[in-house]
Amino acid sequence: MDYLSVANSSLIYILGSILILFIVFQSFLFLFKAYKRGLQIGLTKEKMKIAIKSSITFSIVPSIPIVIALIAMVPKLGTPFPWIRLSIIGSFQYELIAAETGAKAMGLEGLNAVGLSPEAFANIMWVMSIGIVWGLLTCVLFLKKIEKGLNKQKKKDNLWLTILISSLFFGMISVFVGPVITTGGVPLLTMVSSAAIMLGISFITEKFKVKWLKNFALSFSMIIGMALAIFYNTML
Amino acid sequence: MKKTYNDEMHRIGRLSGITVIAFIFLIPTVVCLYFDIFPPITALLKGIAMVCMIYIPISIAEVLTYAPLLGSSASYLVFVTGNLTNLKIPCAKMAMEQCDVKSSTEEGDIIATISVAASSITTVVIVFIGMLLIKPIEPIITAPALQPAFNNILPALFGALGAYFIKKEWKLAIVPLVVIITISLIININGILGLFIPIMGGVSILASRIMYKKGWLNNVKG
Repeated sequence: MDYLSVANSSLIYILGSILILFIVFQSFLFLFKAYKRGLQIGLTKEKMKIAIKSSITFSIVPSIPIVIALIAMVPKLGTPFPWIRLSIIGSFQYELIAAETGAKAMGLEGLNAVGLSPEAFANIMWVMSIGIVWGLLTCVLFLKKIEKGLNKQKKKDNLWLTILISSLFFGMISVFVGPVITTGGVPLLTMVSSAAIMLGISFITEKFKVKWLKNFALSFSMIIGMALAIFYNTML
Repeated sequence: MKKTYNDEMHRIGRLSGITVIAFIFLIPTVVCLYFDIFPPITALLKGIAMVCMIYIPISIAEVLTYAPLLGSSASYLVFVTGNLTNLKIPCAKMAMEQCDVKSSTEEGDIIATISVAASSITTVVIVFIGMLLIKPIEPIITAPALQPAFNNILPALFGALGAYFIKKEWKLAIVPLVVIITISLIININGILGLFIPIMGGVSILASRIMYKKGWLNNVKG
């Protein structure tokens, strides 16, 4: 039996469809519950609609690399399983590392090894699946406790909690900004450009009170930055 | 006593979380049973052990880093739908900023939930369209001329996001930035960025704590 006939079987498509439909249902459920509660506590419809619109707009472009990752994985793992994996928790880097690990554990050189058997494919599926549930499991088990801790801290010293959460955010920002600065080249030029555009848009929205522009500032800056990357690439 | 919104979201979050985990396991189980293919148990355990060794600590650190920022209900959702750093966190953070709400308040929690839900649905739809139209789309989005744009999506995203928030709270940003720049001058960390997110979160908190004690951060708005 050729492993790709397993990997591309309608069974995996059906299982994937059920899971992904569930996730879409879950997202809508959370959206409606949060929206309803928002109205109760005095968030305006306008505000919440802005949050929805700007989030949808922003999410389109960063989703394209996920499709590119899908295209890259399909020849090795068939179509439906990568589709499932990339629609739920995980990242392209994770999926590749996990798939390689699953193949290596079978004594193969890696994902590109010839003679991937159905058993190897099954092993890869298991390793990719089990490796990724831990974040979600941590949420299910400990999120209530984490929240309690945060609430306690909030009562004790709210300003410090605000600073702590912002610090976590800046820790993350620094990881994506710092290495680009030292690497230089096209990534650095791109980063500086989109930073400048963002600051320019913020200045305009504040000075001339162009409210709608503020909501799409991040998307605009990112997309113009990406377009400039193509230009810089031909220059360097 | 009537259940509060927060209790209800925890209940739904846990229930849906368990359902998703069960389903993630169900997929390989059903496939193995249906096709009667079973990987050797040693290979299976070896693979699982290797991948878990790395991803259990990373996953726990991720929850501790992002849950305070997003709030509980949004966290249940993002740890199902994924793409945290490249999508959900920037998306939710910006939505909260636009709506003028803060993390660790109920308003912030709600806007973050609305934002990540809308973002999740968008991504699922795009990946679905991508899968259906893989043949016609492939030559377009994998065109060599476009690759510099997609390869630089993170610098473009974090340049814009970073500029906005660093300008706002530069005091909190400066130490983690200097530290990470120093580290990446010494070693190449490009392949292991995920590992550095919790580490830099820790560095950042430590620096803020010292500045806070000295009274330098009394006007931070968050």
